[in-house]
Amino acid sequence: MNEEHESLEVRSRVEAALDDWEALESGDAAVCGLPERRGLLATILRMREISVLGAAVLLFVVLSLATPNLFPTPENLLLVARQISILAIIAIGMTFLFIAREIDLSAGSTYGFLVVCLAFLISKWSVSPWLAVLITVLVGLIIGFVNGTVVTRFGIPSFIVTLGMLSILRGFALLLSGAWPVLIRLPQEHSFLNLTAGRAWGTVPAQVLWMAGLMIIAGFVLSKTRFGAHVYATGGNEEAAILTGIPTKQVKVICFMVTSALCGIAASLLVGQMRSGHPTTGTGFELDIIAAVVIGGTPLFGGAGSVLGTLLGAAILGMITNGLVLLGASAHFEPVAKGCIIIGAIMVDTLIRQRRV
Amino acid sequence: MGGREKQLMEHTTTQVNADNTKSAVVRPPMVELRGICKVFGHVQALQGVSLSVYEGEVIGLVGDNGAGKSTLIKIISGAYQPDAGTILVDGAPVQFNNPRDAMEKGIATVYQNLALVDQRDVAANIFLGRELVRGLVLDQRRMLEESSQVLQQLRSDIPSVEVAVGLLSGGQRQAVAIARAIQQGAARLVIMDEPVAALGIEETRKVLRLISRLKAQGRAVIVISHNLEHVFSVADRIVVLRRGRLVGDRYKSETNAAEIVHLIVGAERL
Repeated sequence: MNEEHESLEVRSRVEAALDDWEALESGDAAVCGLPERRGLLATILRMREISVLGAAVLLFVVLSLATPNLFPTPENLLLVARQISILAIIAIGMTFLFIAREIDLSAGSTYGFLVVCLAFLISKWSVSPWLAVLITVLVGLIIGFVNGTVVTRFGIPSFIVTLGMLSILRGFALLLSGAWPVLIRLPQEHSFLNLTAGRAWGTVPAQVLWMAGLMIIAGFVLSKTRFGAHVYATGGNEEAAILTGIPTKQVKVICFMVTSALCGIAASLLVGQMRSGHPTTGTGFELDIIAAVVIGGTPLFGGAGSVLGTLLGAAILGMITNGLVLLGASAHFEPVAKGCIIIGAIMVDTLIRQRRV
Repeated sequence: MGGREKQLMEHTTTQVNADNTKSAVVRPPMVELRGICKVFGHVQALQGVSLSVYEGEVIGLVGDNGAGKSTLIKIISGAYQPDAGTILVDGAPVQFNNPRDAMEKGIATVYQNLALVDQRDVAANIFLGRELVRGLVLDQRRMLEESSQVLQQLRSDIPSVEVAVGLLSGGQRQAVAIARAIQQGAARLVIMDEPVAALGIEETRKVLRLISRLKAQGRAVIVISHNLEHVFSVADRIVVLRRGRLVGDRYKSETNAAEIVHLIVGAERL
């Protein structure tokens, strides 16, 4: 009893000494404060998207000054928004993949194949349009599942797997359609046409609403849910993610499936608008999609990026295309301008990050 | 403080624990290894290693390259499964099929490369893979609060839990990795593989202090290190492996650096 008491005393003395020693040593007083409530402005300034937003605003101002009667009109701006909607919708999926450190080069072909698929289902097999849309999105999910499974199970780089898929699906699009456009006939007032190519309140194109809705959902999933956190962790440090029990393979497969399913939704919007499916749709489109993601500030090496950035990236591409037409420039100049913007965007982003770190 | 005081302290800990369990029996070690063997192809990585780990003690695990240190901690942390032998936690045999199983028994490992996601902030790293949610939505506020609490417990000097981990110093990164081990596993045993190998003098001092903190909180710590000076400054017991065998298990007070070096390299006599 006595001994126990004594040793307890020793123990408390040891602890006290330890604390004193630490207090003495850490003159820096070891404060790990709670996050301060930052002002709205400070929050905005810290965002990665700020440089992209700056570029978009600059482009907007320049084009508005150059063609004051043409560019900044509501009709023209809605036109730009409609033109970028399909690009932006597929780019959402590519953003997920980039953050998870993967890529889908087959996105353009998947989109083209699903366009033919949908048109074929409606015209040749007389499937009701909404059921056909459902089947198309399901086919998209399967394509994404195959891409993701081959990449994760066999450890083949997604660059190679999806390059193969790009070729396969373009071939299927041509085989299925016999290389001819597939036309669909539907009554003008059909709900499918209304909801894919109509206008809300007589002004806002349906495609723009689809884009906005999908962007909001995707942005929420990425920044506010556990799955979103796992996507960032998977791309940022896959080994660390695995050690903490994150199912990184599953996360990647889901990202591939999201991308291909979004290709299916984009395909439905196009078929509704064109009332036909062309087997060459989306040839080279994957490069525009990747451009939108990269201009939007999502790095190629994973772990960072956002849907908002991708929207801004798509908007910049859309404004360039539209602005060059309004300025009367040769159509052949468009790819040159796009290429310069892509390189410029990466340079600015790299410079900013080097200074920040 | 002397070795006698240390032993007295351990003695007290055992008694207090025994009182808690309301039994006259002395509490079994928190983790006990019995006759652990592991073979890789033709290599006998571990040959019948037995070791007891008690709460509130720091064990320095030393040995030459290839002596089996990493294999041993990987078995305790559930990354490898032993070919023979038993692991007991609180006296009951357990089987770890993966690091998650070990974590659930209160054994957490801080890997040498720390396994941090540089682009994400401190809080996201501490809750990596175990994010708190309210319904479908991440409970960001609670994760930030609990992260800063754990770091405060460790008296870490990280300025904010919202800083990206890639911007922190080596010692601060080590603190984040330790904080994760504590937060996620409610860890009673923290295993650290070469925690100061890549650090400067000041940073090393901070990490060694962190280890003392863990001990003062009543946790057990196993530290692998090549640096005997560090081992002697922080460990209560030093365990030596050589060619897969446990060749020495000494209280710090009973030994000195020369003896440990001899045990490591296998010289016949002092």
